[in-house]
Amino acid sequence: MLGLEFPVINEVVRWVDLFPTFNKIALIACEATLIGTVVFLVAGAADWRVAPTGIRNLAEIVVEFIEGLILETIGPNGLKWTPHMLSFFIFIYLCNVPGIIPVVYMPATARMAIPLFLAIIVWVIYNAVGIKHQKAGYFTHMLWPPGVPVFMKPLVGLIEFVSNILLRPFALAIRLFANMLAGHMLLVTFAILTEELVQGDSVLLKPLGILPFFMLLFITAFEVLVGFLQAYIFTILACVFIGASMASHEEHAEAH
Amino acid sequence: MDALVGMLAQTATSAADLKAANAAIGAGFAYGLAAIGPGIGIGYVAGKAIEAMARQPEAAGMVRTTMFLGIAFTEALALIGFVVFILLGL
Amino acid sequence: MLSAVATQTGRSIQIEFDHFAAEAESHSEVEPKDGPSPIVPEIKELAWSAGAFIVFAVLMRFVLYPRLKQGMAARYSSIRDGHANADAIRAAAKADVASYEAQVASVKAEANARIEAARRTLEEEREVRLAEANARIAARRESARADAEAVRSAGLSELESAAGDVTERLVELSTGLRPTESVVSEAVSASMLEGAGR
Repeated sequence: MLGLEFPVINEVVRWVDLFPTFNKIALIACEATLIGTVVFLVAGAADWRVAPTGIRNLAEIVVEFIEGLILETIGPNGLKWTPHMLSFFIFIYLCNVPGIIPVVYMPATARMAIPLFLAIIVWVIYNAVGIKHQKAGYFTHMLWPPGVPVFMKPLVGLIEFVSNILLRPFALAIRLFANMLAGHMLLVTFAILTEELVQGDSVLLKPLGILPFFMLLFITAFEVLVGFLQAYIFTILACVFIGASMASHEEHAEAH
Repeated sequence: MDALVGMLAQTATSAADLKAANAAIGAGFAYGLAAIGPGIGIGYVAGKAIEAMARQPEAAGMVRTTMFLGIAFTEALALIGFVVFILLGL
Repeated sequence: MLSAVATQTGRSIQIEFDHFAAEAESHSEVEPKDGPSPIVPEIKELAWSAGAFIVFAVLMRFVLYPRLKQGMAARYSSIRDGHANADAIRAAAKADVASYEAQVASVKAEANARIEAARRTLEEEREVRLAEANARIAARRESARADAEAVRSAGLSELESAAGDVTERLVELSTGLRPTESVVSEAVSASMLEGAGR
């Protein structure tokens, strides 16, 4: 019989310190910063007069992608957020991608630290934008959307407060974290299954190891997509939240 | 589920084992149930988005963005279920 | 780091591996199993990743993005300028073509006018010559007709006198009487008129 023992989850996602306090997650985060910086430095150093090629082309495609995304969600006056959204997108993507790179095999975003920190930054940004654009009206407008009857106000206010102030950043962080952790756990599961089947005692079961191996390949390909998609979704949701903080200003003004 | 718990109560040797087994079962149910609604919801969102894109291919970019937003919001429920699964079972 | 303690008691040497040190080492070599729930962020990871992200965001905001964007904007504006230049050059070329065509048209019109004038003078000259020739022909014809008339009237009067002579002789021979000159000539001219009238 197959003696399959799944490791405890902390054994899969927690890492030893390379030196005090500096573990693999921190290493990946620092590497993401380093790679992003180097890519953009090289891209910025290339001659801008000629048609962009190689790294410069890549960087410009990313910049234009983010600009298009902001134009779609916030509008032209949101373009000043491009560098921030760019750093969100690139940092998250470069933290996601190690999940499928051999040897590293660990998405840094599968730990709660990075998603939570980024979500808190987004939370601070969109609240600050809302307060800056709508002053105190931001909170009343957020808690009680126009047209709510008076007797409903306490209930609606509570729901809106919980959903906008507490649940939004939490959901933003959890979405990234859980997606990457789930993908990582799937990879681990099928890798362990393959190993156990191929290296197990039973000769009969050995050829069956090819099945979870193909699943492993498929999930790796899927993770390539997910790594990009989660960075994209995090960025677009940040844009949508900022845009909502800015845009309801116009509605507010029109209502008066 | 009662049958499962009863079977566990007969085979489990200690109270701690029983508790762990119950937690594992609960975690499995939590994630399984949490995945039903968002599964239907995401299917609906994606289906409608494909319908819209097929009807109006020139609006495909906008529809795709909105579809991803809708999927992201729908998916949050399943992900919270996944978090509960981790908290309970592992 | 495996440490061993060797103790000699009598004949036997006892070597004891330092279990405590070995255990601690092996424990830190595998991934730490005990730890907080995976949903709770660890402070050290939070600190490192926050630092990394803040460094990246600040660099992006103040160095990386502006440099790239500057180049992009410069290139796009140069491309736009190139388009504008091309438009201006195209417009200038179009104006040149238009002026050239206008010149060609004016030259053509002048040539046409000249040809027209030449044709007109030619026509006039021809008219004049034709009229002259016609007049000459008419004069000649007139004189010829006058000559013919003169000849014919001369012939007629001769014929008349001859016919009068013949008639006079014939009347004299048949009647023996000599008719008067006037009667004969009257009769002859009347019959000749009658003949001419017939």
